[in-house]
Amino acid sequence: MGAAASNGNGKLSSETLRAMVDEKGGRLDPRIYEDRAIYELELERIFARSWLYLCHESQLTKPGDFFSTYMAEDPVLVVRQKDGSIRAFLNQCRHRGMRICRADGGNARAFTCSYHGWGYDLAGKLVSVPHEADGYRNEIDKSQWGPLQVPRIESRHGLVFGTWNESAPSFEDYLGDMRWYFDGYFDRTAAGTEVVGGMHRWVLQCNWKFAAEQFCSDMYHADYSHISALIAQLPEGVDASMGRLPTTGSQFSSRNGHGTGFFTDPGVGTVGNINGPIASGWYQGPHQQRAIERLGEPRGSQIFGGHMTVFPTFSFLPQIQTLRVWHPRGPGEIEVWAWALVDRDAPPEVKNAVRLGVLRTFSAGGIFEQDDGENWLEIQKVLRGHKARQQKLNLAMGLGHDRGDDQRFPGKINNVYGEEAARGFYRQWAEMISTEVPA
Amino acid sequence: MSAAAVNQAESKAASAERVTPELQQEIEQFLYHESRVLDEHRFEEWYDLLTDDIHYFMPTRYNRLKREADKEFSGPDEAAYFDEDKRSIAQRIRRLNTGMAWAEDPPSRTRHMLSNVVIRPRAGGEYEVDCYFMVYRSRLEREVEMFVGMRHDVVRRASNAAGFTIAKRTIILDQAILMARNLSFFF
Repeated sequence: MGAAASNGNGKLSSETLRAMVDEKGGRLDPRIYEDRAIYELELERIFARSWLYLCHESQLTKPGDFFSTYMAEDPVLVVRQKDGSIRAFLNQCRHRGMRICRADGGNARAFTCSYHGWGYDLAGKLVSVPHEADGYRNEIDKSQWGPLQVPRIESRHGLVFGTWNESAPSFEDYLGDMRWYFDGYFDRTAAGTEVVGGMHRWVLQCNWKFAAEQFCSDMYHADYSHISALIAQLPEGVDASMGRLPTTGSQFSSRNGHGTGFFTDPGVGTVGNINGPIASGWYQGPHQQRAIERLGEPRGSQIFGGHMTVFPTFSFLPQIQTLRVWHPRGPGEIEVWAWALVDRDAPPEVKNAVRLGVLRTFSAGGIFEQDDGENWLEIQKVLRGHKARQQKLNLAMGLGHDRGDDQRFPGKINNVYGEEAARGFYRQWAEMISTEVPA
Repeated sequence: MSAAAVNQAESKAASAERVTPELQQEIEQFLYHESRVLDEHRFEEWYDLLTDDIHYFMPTRYNRLKREADKEFSGPDEAAYFDEDKRSIAQRIRRLNTGMAWAEDPPSRTRHMLSNVVIRPRAGGEYEVDCYFMVYRSRLEREVEMFVGMRHDVVRRASNAAGFTIAKRTIILDQAILMARNLSFFF
């Protein structure tokens, strides 16, 4: 087999695909990041079968509120209904395929396609067709020509997920052994959360898996990629050598490809205080008291500076509070859509501190996040090379040292500096990409 | 916020001072000087051109139907690309000076090009200065990004060598989804 993963027919065998990830040997075939045929299979076998993040409930407060987002490359409209429920449907008119709504969000009473004027109600039901009597001779069955509905939508702690897969497990079962961690991050107080209004959206010329895997599994990079920001955040006069991350912590790898990692001590640097004293006063004060009562320990107060990904593309940094989805745009491009998550009942000054903290650290202009793109983009460019594509990448950190008997943290656990969750992420990817969708 | 609200955010008590050709040239020369300082990566020098109460702000932007044009820009309590005070700008410069800020090391090549400068004098030696900008960035081997938009600045007469300081900057970028890898430079 040559550098291109697909043969002349563009066909990839399940065996070839499965062999690209060797999680037991800790090796990775980099063609998974740049091959167009693999990407097309990802759309079908991964994104159309997985639970994907749609929005936060707080973005849709009133009936008719809508948010225009994507499930991978498919545009969808997520709409709050008059009965309070949330529905989502493909943002594609069934007549000629025009995008039904071209606004990023807002409030609507109905949606009208701007091409020929087909009209849809908030649920995506086709309700009016111009020239129905004289043009269509009243022969169009409008009930058959609504846009494709997202058949399964579930909301968990205000986070709304959808899947095209009618036979998918419930979102709770999809989380599986990740649920304990997911709830520990998103169900910390009775009042719940909301997102700060607006969002950051930007484009990176890299494969979606670099981003998703890093948030799933990679604490390792932070000490070096982000060293300039760690130093810059130190108080005036404190020596740069203090700009280090803690050393003690754990990483969890889910059977379903999700993952998270975190420190179990706060260390000497700014971890846990990254959004400044007003935010940490809340999150280490009233918020933490409530979380201890609700979740107990260690989830209440003994987890510091975490990262997480729900497979495939939903990521969050607990305490830093940046929430995002990595929308794939071909094998070599993503759009990052990111929000700041705050406690619904936090005082306004705390919400503002988190808002400022997130935009200054983890956004397109954030002093931490700027450097992530630099890494991912350069990997992608190097993979244009014939020889570069043939070099197996190292996925072996901590290989064989996982444990399932940790007294405090359930599931498969390894050191916070490790690639256990990355191996789980890519194993899930390999299993899904090598499993054909039944005809 | 609407475009009109963003555009009028600066308007305060106007002054009777006339915008003479000399004043126009003086302020334009200051803006060109500042652009040169930024493009030559003289960030400490640039920092000294900022007043202690600087507000450096760049809202996010959205596609909205005309009937909801008031929601085109993020509001003051919403997500912004930049919402900086002098301390947070100092942190950004401190980061750039570590020698390990990989997004700018090797550094980007930037050019700030300014035009359409409109000046409105305020009381007390302050001037509202609008301009259009085009910022070109070239990075590493062949990456090129272009940023086009409008700035609303407030500058103050000062006794420094440049003659002015910058008290406020609002940056309006003419993009909805940011077509760039990051914002690791200043507008």
